[in-house]
Amino acid sequence: MKRKSPLVRQSSETDFNNAMTPMIDVVFLLLVFFVWTASFQIVEYVLPSEMSAQMGNDEVQIDDPPPPSDFEDIVVRLRWAADTEQVQWSVNDQTLASLAAVGSKLQELVAVGADVTVILHPDPAVPLGYVIETYDQAKLKGFENVSFAVNPGR
Amino acid sequence: MQIPQHRSRQRDGINMTPMIDVVFLLIIFFLVSSHLARQESRMELELPNATSGQEDIDQETPRITVNVKVDGSMWIAGRTIKPANLKQTFDEVRAREGDGVEVRIRGSRMAPYATFEPIMLACTEAGIWNVTYAVYREVDR
Repeated sequence: MKRKSPLVRQSSETDFNNAMTPMIDVVFLLLVFFVWTASFQIVEYVLPSEMSAQMGNDEVQIDDPPPPSDFEDIVVRLRWAADTEQVQWSVNDQTLASLAAVGSKLQELVAVGADVTVILHPDPAVPLGYVIETYDQAKLKGFENVSFAVNPGR
Repeated sequence: MQIPQHRSRQRDGINMTPMIDVVFLLIIFFLVSSHLARQESRMELELPNATSGQEDIDQETPRITVNVKVDGSMWIAGRTIKPANLKQTFDEVRAREGDGVEVRIRGSRMAPYATFEPIMLACTEAGIWNVTYAVYREVDR
């Protein structure tokens, strides 16, 4: 029976190792390259809120609730309950408990006309997250003009 | 004595592997360093969620980024700014860059709305109508 000499076996092993090392190098480099290009950071998006000129110039009476029959503007109020740390919504003075309810109410109202202005009027203590989510709902339902009420006194 | 075959093969041409290694390393180095440089310029904030957020493709518009932390402190270009000084800053940038200035509000989702009112007011007073909010898309989270 013919057997390979130890010298020949060693030589083929070296050959194999020599071939594997650069391949592993390149594979690892490619791996690192793709891991880095697929960024770990969450991508930020932009929510445009083009402000209307009336907002800064007019003394809008935001403290007075609008009359219920007035459907020219839809006023969405966000009230902050400090004791429960929860937000309470009201659309044209109709109190709603959840953001989903606000969404369905806005869905009904958008049928009247998508060009109706929606005014968001949050309490000063309402966290921005809720305000943006409500704004997002109004935009998703198809309202074109959604503006923020700002109290110039503060 | 038997001479290994691969030695003679090496002499045939330049070994490309180390060169590719080095080139890839350089590419990764520059990618990582530019990536980190961009990340460091952003203040770490828990932004609000919004499904209707759009991709930030417009890199040409001159922009003022106002960062608002949970405690309500405002930061522009790495420095705190008082609400009373916002209008002056906006006026200066608008005078320098023109009418198309954008104000990007990067606010923590837990910061109270009262903090953002002076920013929006200052924008209207300075005549800046292009105000945007930085958000995360809910589907990404």
